[in-house]
Amino acid sequence: MEASEYENMDLENLVFEKVTEEIEAKKKAGERIPFHLHVPTPIFGLVEDTDIELSAKPTFKQSTKGKEAISYAMTLDGSSGAVDHGFFLRSNWQIQGYLLEQTDAIEKHGSSFPLNALEFMLGQLQKLAPELHRVHFLRYLNSLYHDDYASALENLHKYFDYSAGIEGFDGIPPSSGFNNSGRYEIALLCSGMLHFHFGHPKQAVEALTEAVRVSQQHSNDTCLAYTLAAICNLLSEIGISNASGLLGSSYSPVANMGTSLSIHQQLFVLLKESLKRAESLKLKRLVASNHLAMAKFHLMHVQRPVLSFGPKASMKLITSPINVCKELRLSSNLISDFDIESSMMITDGSLSTTWLKNLHRQRGSSVIFEETEPGNRSNASSFFSQPNSIPGSVSQLVGASYLLRATAWEMYGSAPLARMNALVYATCFADCASSVDAAVAYGKLIQYLAAYKGYKAAFAALKTVEEKFISVSKSQIMVLKLQLLHERALHRGHSKLAQQICDELAVLSSPVTGVDMDLKAEASFRHARTLLAAKQFSEAAAVAHALFCMCYKFNLRVQDASTLLLLAEIHKKSGNAVLGIPYALASLSFCESFNLDLLKASATLTLAELWLSLGSIHAKRALTLIHSALPMILGHGGLELRARAHIAEAKCHLSDASFSVPETSGVVLDSLRQACDELQILEYHELAAEAFYLMAITFDKMGQLEEREQAASSFQKHIMALEKVTDEEDPLLK
Amino acid sequence: MGSKEICRNELRIAVRQLSDRCLYSASKWAAEQLVGIELDPVKFTPSNTRFQRGSSSIRRRFRTNEIMSTPIAGVSYVSTPVMEEDDIVDGDFYLLAKSYFDCREYRRAAHVLRDQYGKKAVFLRCYALYLAGENRKEEENIELEGPLGKSDAVNKELVSLERELSMLRKNGSIDPFGLYLYGLVLKEKGSEHLARNLLVESVNSYPWNWSAWSELQSLCTTIDILHSLPLNNHWMKDFFLAGAYQELRMHNESLAKYEYLQGTFSFSNYIQAQIAKAQYSLREFEQVEVIFEELLRNDPYRVEDMDMYSNVLYAKECFSALSYLAHRVFMTDKYRPESCCIIGNYYSLKGQHEKSVMYFRRALKLNKNCLSAWTLMGHEYVEMKNTPAAVDAYRRAVDINPCDYRAWYGLGQAYEMMGMPFYALHYFRKSVFLQPSDSRLWIAMAQCYETEQLHMLEESIKCYRRAANCNDREAIALHKLAKLHCELGRLEEAAFYYKKDLERMEAEERDGPNMVEALLFLATHGKDQKRFEEAEVYCTRLLDYTGPEKETAKSLLRGMRMAQSGFPSMSAEHFPP
Repeated sequence: MEASEYENMDLENLVFEKVTEEIEAKKKAGERIPFHLHVPTPIFGLVEDTDIELSAKPTFKQSTKGKEAISYAMTLDGSSGAVDHGFFLRSNWQIQGYLLEQTDAIEKHGSSFPLNALEFMLGQLQKLAPELHRVHFLRYLNSLYHDDYASALENLHKYFDYSAGIEGFDGIPPSSGFNNSGRYEIALLCSGMLHFHFGHPKQAVEALTEAVRVSQQHSNDTCLAYTLAAICNLLSEIGISNASGLLGSSYSPVANMGTSLSIHQQLFVLLKESLKRAESLKLKRLVASNHLAMAKFHLMHVQRPVLSFGPKASMKLITSPINVCKELRLSSNLISDFDIESSMMITDGSLSTTWLKNLHRQRGSSVIFEETEPGNRSNASSFFSQPNSIPGSVSQLVGASYLLRATAWEMYGSAPLARMNALVYATCFADCASSVDAAVAYGKLIQYLAAYKGYKAAFAALKTVEEKFISVSKSQIMVLKLQLLHERALHRGHSKLAQQICDELAVLSSPVTGVDMDLKAEASFRHARTLLAAKQFSEAAAVAHALFCMCYKFNLRVQDASTLLLLAEIHKKSGNAVLGIPYALASLSFCESFNLDLLKASATLTLAELWLSLGSIHAKRALTLIHSALPMILGHGGLELRARAHIAEAKCHLSDASFSVPETSGVVLDSLRQACDELQILEYHELAAEAFYLMAITFDKMGQLEEREQAASSFQKHIMALEKVTDEEDPLLK
Repeated sequence: MGSKEICRNELRIAVRQLSDRCLYSASKWAAEQLVGIELDPVKFTPSNTRFQRGSSSIRRRFRTNEIMSTPIAGVSYVSTPVMEEDDIVDGDFYLLAKSYFDCREYRRAAHVLRDQYGKKAVFLRCYALYLAGENRKEEENIELEGPLGKSDAVNKELVSLERELSMLRKNGSIDPFGLYLYGLVLKEKGSEHLARNLLVESVNSYPWNWSAWSELQSLCTTIDILHSLPLNNHWMKDFFLAGAYQELRMHNESLAKYEYLQGTFSFSNYIQAQIAKAQYSLREFEQVEVIFEELLRNDPYRVEDMDMYSNVLYAKECFSALSYLAHRVFMTDKYRPESCCIIGNYYSLKGQHEKSVMYFRRALKLNKNCLSAWTLMGHEYVEMKNTPAAVDAYRRAVDINPCDYRAWYGLGQAYEMMGMPFYALHYFRKSVFLQPSDSRLWIAMAQCYETEQLHMLEESIKCYRRAANCNDREAIALHKLAKLHCELGRLEEAAFYYKKDLERMEAEERDGPNMVEALLFLATHGKDQKRFEEAEVYCTRLLDYTGPEKETAKSLLRGMRMAQSGFPSMSAEHFPP
């Protein structure tokens, strides 16, 4: 009995101590109410539980980060001085810090973040501290990334109902523009993002428009700047033709600008506006991300003077790579700037990261790159992962600029630069990148491997990446895999399999019109190519035509260029060279205005092939064309493109009347040999057979019978392989 | 239903047994029902009728049919044997323990019974321990409460109680009261399914313990759960079902049950109050008022459920009645959540919103989960233009009971006030989902869509149409529908709704600008459609009004006459006879 009495006394003392401490803390914190959590064992036990759960889950490969977060919680236990009887004191800041870290972790790992473990933890926290409203925000994030619409919406509303959007801004002194009416505009901004994330562009626009209005009302310029950036992002993502209907539907800052401007000019104006605002408000990260958006815009859209009419206005209809580079450089300046701002960092920390996250979801297009060993990553990134040196969101932004650079160079056709940037991203920023972005970078590298080193290397790399991202961003890696498989099936001549893969790819895209346009265009493009390979020319032409119309409608200009080229290709294969030439020329001009150099080289090559098929009198012209494109092709082109160029060159020589075998056979044989090597790596039977055929003819003309027989037997081998289309199930295709 | 005499006998014994086990609220309830049974006119003595003066005509007025008291066909009621009392040997200790218990010295009571093994003694000991634990929990909640809300104080007796009770149950030496307690413990622990099973077992073997029924009721969150309970047919089950239906917002079913029960328990205040509750949910304020007036006459010191009465009085702006009620409960027991709500309403009606908020706060101090107090406080904050506080209050109400459509509606309104109609829609959608038959909610939602910021008229029309379909009392919907259709250029639809609106206004003998507007539109429309006779009728009616419309009507009439008769009339004018 006595013992328990003592215990009781102890307990009372404890309570008393807490009260005095609380009072002191209150004095320190001035007006704000600090809170201490009286957390008995549950959290401690909880930590251990989750730890066990994590290590017991073999599939969750990337548990390091999760464990870090948890060990953070453990050190909290140690440092804050555990009090007897299972009571722990934790300050507001410690818990908030923990929550912040969880936020980062969720954003980083996306859907691979363990939903239930965090949910359980949050449930406990909420039970212990019902007035700690940030928990709701975390719940919102958690369900957002796990695609639970209902729960995300519910928790978002709950958080803002309780906290009026103020709780996340503890650092801001009450005087700085904070008014009593709450910050519900942030709620609107978040709800706009939510709808955007779940593919409801209409609702997103409504919410964001309302956010603009309310932020103007409450003169919350920061929120306004973010909202504008979000609208820009929305506009550039949802497909322009959709947007026109959307924007007309409601009063909006965009609709205000009048209908005389085309939507993408409106977007441009809006982007500029948003950038200006962010600069004047000194929101460094927003400036950086706006620069990124600007770069993206310059990358994708033809620059034309906004207000100039008539024939006299000089119409400079090209994209501006210089601007892209400038914007990208400006956005990377952030990393040197940010330390000035470091005090501000925390203030809008927790929320701004989530906004920024959504601001640059990168959609990698296609083609190129090399694999890195994930092992040496940690060394390279040590510079960036120094504790507290650079906030995650900043390095994420800088990383995004590298990713965008990679994409830009990919389009402009500089393979080494594109590869380098993707490599930089994969080595330096993979630690802070969200798993989706990392998957994009790896995807680029693998595509590079496939194009330059053949499928064997690419599939080997794919396997490691698949293990790395086992539960992450299924679709990203899935798409990549299907692309590779399709490419290989086409080369090997398995048209049935190719068609099957094509269909699977099409299924991955969302059924909503105007969403996932890239993927839809890609699937349709590959469908046309499959039909072409199966020699169903009219069907292929029809599909390609429809694709062109769709791309035109949704302003996908790059895809337009490649579709035109495909049409030229279809006509070439079907024997209508005359019909093909205009398409090739159109594609060329598209490529020129968009600075797509590699695609331009490939279009030139096709044009040369078309001329060549019109008869031997055009061989000279074709040869000139090929030679003009050759530097680009040999410097940056993939195996297939190079082989095609070599074969075309050889054909030109062979069909040239003035060509004499003994004199120039070296040139011809050289290029043919190169082509054969490259094609054998790719297992491209059809072209390889052609190359060997040409080789055999050349040898025949030279009278070297032995070599001729050798080439002929190689030719036969490839033809056999092409005819013996085994429809065996590909082990890689589930 | 078992005859009144049987019910009476059963209840009489039950009251004694329940109060012997210190289950006071259950015994109170049973006693209330006991005197609520209508006496046979042959036997009643003046002393017995004291409580039954209220068998006045007022109640009869609302009695829809008199044959309610006949049993439902096919239902045979199980007669449950009344338990016999055990062990008189332990009686002395038991008496001591009960006395301690009555003095709220729970641990002492439990200690006295430590070596007693009779079922009754075991139950009382466990129950005393449970209450002691609850007491301590409450204290800890106050002592350890941090600024971030509650601490996680738990009833520390739960674990040992659960162990003991489960042991007893395994041995088969547990009585229905023990089962009830066991269910209570499990419910507290969060194992709801098991708790439900135990409570069902308890009420099946001893149906008169209303506390057990109400615990069970709180565990029936969906209609499926309710129907899956294996309950014996006892007349107590009807009480349970009526209450459960009410919780599940099946107000009409609940009302029917209560009216049926009233056949036997015709003087039960409890049933009357419950009927009032159901009527309140159905927004039949007149009837609620009548019922409460009578209740107060019979039971002037009643505080339970009176907050609802005050809501009705508030809604009807019966200032003096509300003032009277507030003063009465203030004298009776001012520290009850209900009283605080009533006084809060009183101050609110007087326009003293700060004071009103203070009383709602007090109500919440007394009972943290007092749903109506949160909602009412939200209303007050809205009045005080403190929208963030209002939002917070409403949100708390919603978190306590996610089915409270009033609080959802309040949230929507608050956001709409802040100029965020799109955001508000989310909340209106919720409230409409919960109460699709309430036209006010649909109208609020429609107005949201209609705002100039959203301007989604099609959606707005859809909402108004729903509102018009569910008995829109203020008749806003029809008028709005007509106007919106007119705005969208759909004149036929507009005419249809104007006509309907007109009919309604005629039927309800209302008059006003809406009437003029409808008449004017119909007249013009009739003229445009060359239905001159019809247009003329409307024009003539318009002539009864003063103002510019009269002149318009006149010129319309003139124009029509001219068009109808063409030139002949002109010539008639030109050539007078």
